[in-house]
Amino acid sequence: MSWLPVPARIAIGAALAALAGLATAGCDGGQIAANVPQSSGQSFVSRSYESTFYQVGHRPAAPSVSGTTITGQRLSLASYRGKTVVLNFWGSWCPPCRREAPALGTLARQLQPDGVRFVGIDIRDEPDSAQAFMQNFNVSYPSLNDPNDEIALEFHSTVPPAAIPTTLIIDSSGRIAARIFGAATYTELKDLVAKVAGLTS
Amino acid sequence: MTTAKGDAMTPAPADGEFRAAGPDLADPASAAAAPTPGNPASGRRAGLPRTGRPRTGRLGPAGWLRWFWRQLTSMRTALILLFLLALASVPGSVLPQEGIDPAAVTQYYQSHPALAPIFSRLSLFNVFSAPWFAAIYLLLFASLAGCVLPRTVRLVGSARQKPPRAPSNLARLPASASYTTDLTPAAALDSAAGLLGGRRFRMRRGEGWVSAEKGYLREVGNLLFHIALLALLFSVGLGGIFGYKANRLLIVGQGFANTPTDLDVFHPGRLVSPSDLQPFSINLQSFRAKYVTSGPQLDQPLGYYAGLSYRPQVGGPTKHYTLTVNHPLVVDNVSVYLIGHGYAPVFKVTDGTGRVRWDGPVPFIPVQQTTLTSEGVIKVPDAQPYQLGFAGVFLPSAVEGAGGQLESAFPGPLNPRVSLVAFKGNLGMNSGEPQSVYSLDTKGLKQLPVAPRPLSAGQSVKLPDGAGSITYVGYQQWVSLAITYDPGQLPALASGIAALAGLILSFLIRRRRVFVRAVAGPDGGTEVSLGGLARSDAAGGFDTEFTELSQLLREKHNGRSMRASRVGDGTVDGPADFDYRERPRPAIPAAPHVAAAPANAKTVTAETVTAETVTAETVTADMATAEAAAAANPETLTGREEE
Repeated sequence: MSWLPVPARIAIGAALAALAGLATAGCDGGQIAANVPQSSGQSFVSRSYESTFYQVGHRPAAPSVSGTTITGQRLSLASYRGKTVVLNFWGSWCPPCRREAPALGTLARQLQPDGVRFVGIDIRDEPDSAQAFMQNFNVSYPSLNDPNDEIALEFHSTVPPAAIPTTLIIDSSGRIAARIFGAATYTELKDLVAKVAGLTS
Repeated sequence: MTTAKGDAMTPAPADGEFRAAGPDLADPASAAAAPTPGNPASGRRAGLPRTGRPRTGRLGPAGWLRWFWRQLTSMRTALILLFLLALASVPGSVLPQEGIDPAAVTQYYQSHPALAPIFSRLSLFNVFSAPWFAAIYLLLFASLAGCVLPRTVRLVGSARQKPPRAPSNLARLPASASYTTDLTPAAALDSAAGLLGGRRFRMRRGEGWVSAEKGYLREVGNLLFHIALLALLFSVGLGGIFGYKANRLLIVGQGFANTPTDLDVFHPGRLVSPSDLQPFSINLQSFRAKYVTSGPQLDQPLGYYAGLSYRPQVGGPTKHYTLTVNHPLVVDNVSVYLIGHGYAPVFKVTDGTGRVRWDGPVPFIPVQQTTLTSEGVIKVPDAQPYQLGFAGVFLPSAVEGAGGQLESAFPGPLNPRVSLVAFKGNLGMNSGEPQSVYSLDTKGLKQLPVAPRPLSAGQSVKLPDGAGSITYVGYQQWVSLAITYDPGQLPALASGIAALAGLILSFLIRRRRVFVRAVAGPDGGTEVSLGGLARSDAAGGFDTEFTELSQLLREKHNGRSMRASRVGDGTVDGPADFDYRERPRPAIPAAPHVAAAPANAKTVTAETVTAETVTAETVTADMATAEAAAAANPETLTGREEE
């Protein structure tokens, strides 16, 4: 920086500093400058599939979720205490949710005798299409209606869903034992649930 | 290249150092020793005895390292890196990016099966997290830090510097005065020191002289500026690491929570995890847009008002806020801006079995901002027996255009109409492949023969083939929100202000030196001589100050026969700082480090070294030499005069 007069150096230095900052910020300025949303509008899995298992002793307590189901019944997660619960965040508009739906529906029926319960949390959805989804995919377990994502927010300080779909497995003592981001597959979900519930398959 | 000259020869206002005058002599010398391609470092510190590096073109590992560092921290490299950064960002805007639009990337794979895997390997779908991109900006960051940090260190030294020893001949200084007094030399110097000390000069005493300097605050200003510049860099980086940006489209009557699943676009900083998001939730209760309804400004928006209710915490109390453009809602240090709006026509879709499969608003995206003509799609993947899809155009104020076509004449909802094209078949959603909710993949779809009749609220279209029907119920409005969290914002503002304050300080305050010498005269009296100079005294004022000081001192000393007072242009601007060799004078005893320079090293003033005679290359080399020499021997000035 030796061959420029100092004011120019200052100006260029400041500009560089700003740009370097922009660069470290990921250079995504302008993303939100547009007047209309540029993206898909709804953020289903932009991240790849990911599953995590929490060892006993490292399991965060699940919040006491309750609400009204799509079909209008009251439902509280607390009433499932003592059972392993598979909590699935989904939306009928979300293609990966539609892909995993048959596996979840089948597993819910298969694992019912083992005391495993499935509960859905329907995010950003319209009740008619959510009900149509459940009929089409033969989903028999209840789903809480969560149009404003408030239930997801209650998981904020524990294991917040970072993608749609997100599947959480809650153990019999009400603690989050596993988490899947992205469309779950039959085999992997079954293995994970068996591991949490202590089932022998 | 007047700029080259400028830096080499003028006192740099923010540079802050009282650069020793000596090295300026060496201009032609170091020009001769300018770096050559095979010997990059040889010219840099050619005149510097300290390094003792042989000038043979062979560099040890340390030499190469030093050379590399000098190259990295040079302005040229910084500019090249900046240019590279700009260049590297180009694919990010030309090619679809995974983080922004994964659906578009998938599409790209389908349309360019040969190219896409190669691009993927080169991280071209993920430019801003690509290793080569990181390499560029880390180098740029290092380059900047490497430039500013050593500068800061030098400035600290400069701010703590003691005044130099007094030159032997004060009459040569730009401003000088002398007189005789009856006081003894020691007493005269004592009272001079008293006067200068009273004026808060920093002082240094020697045998028969007092040297005083003032205006160190200028260096403090410089220091502040440089440190603030670094702080600015860091705070902007802070925002990039711990901050996040998100977008959310929200229809009136709906709400959302600040969780990754509920945001449309989410750009987290590198160390942001989902549980770091502030757990607020926002409901949009109303939205109103006001437009100019007549005159040449017709269609222009007057204002947007979004009535929000929000909860800062889960289960906390609900608050209200009216969001307008540029007046963000601030929750938990997160700013929520209103950045866009549009219409969401409400549809009711009944499938072939007679069951309602969709009943709600669908956001349409404006394709024409002035009239808010908007387009959107409705997907009904669970309709039976066929999946249904619709592509529609919404006209908020439909009028018949020139060609008999309907078009929107005004952005407000004066005469809302919707026209639809209907499809049945496979929407492609069950495969799990992500797709945009704003576009229809018509590959597996068959268009239904429905007359394109613009619907007004309450009108329905019955679909052929027993596919069902669709009703346009009415419309709702939506807003687009930008959610930004930048923990570096406040520090960045603070450092920006500090940088500005430092700059102003360094411009306003001038550093000036006053020297007093007192020697016993032949007639038994004491000869007192004063000399002074100020640097880059653009605002003027040093002459006055010096005159006043010399008068005061003379009165104090009860001096007589004020002689050859040469108070005139006390300013040195142009040549290097305090270079009082610009007047013709006898031979200058060369400073030790200049001795190494060839014999043609002679007095060169600012006037003789111009852009015409010296190329930028040369001056760059000179500068390096000058700075290095100055750093090595800050007291060159006095050393030469005294020894």
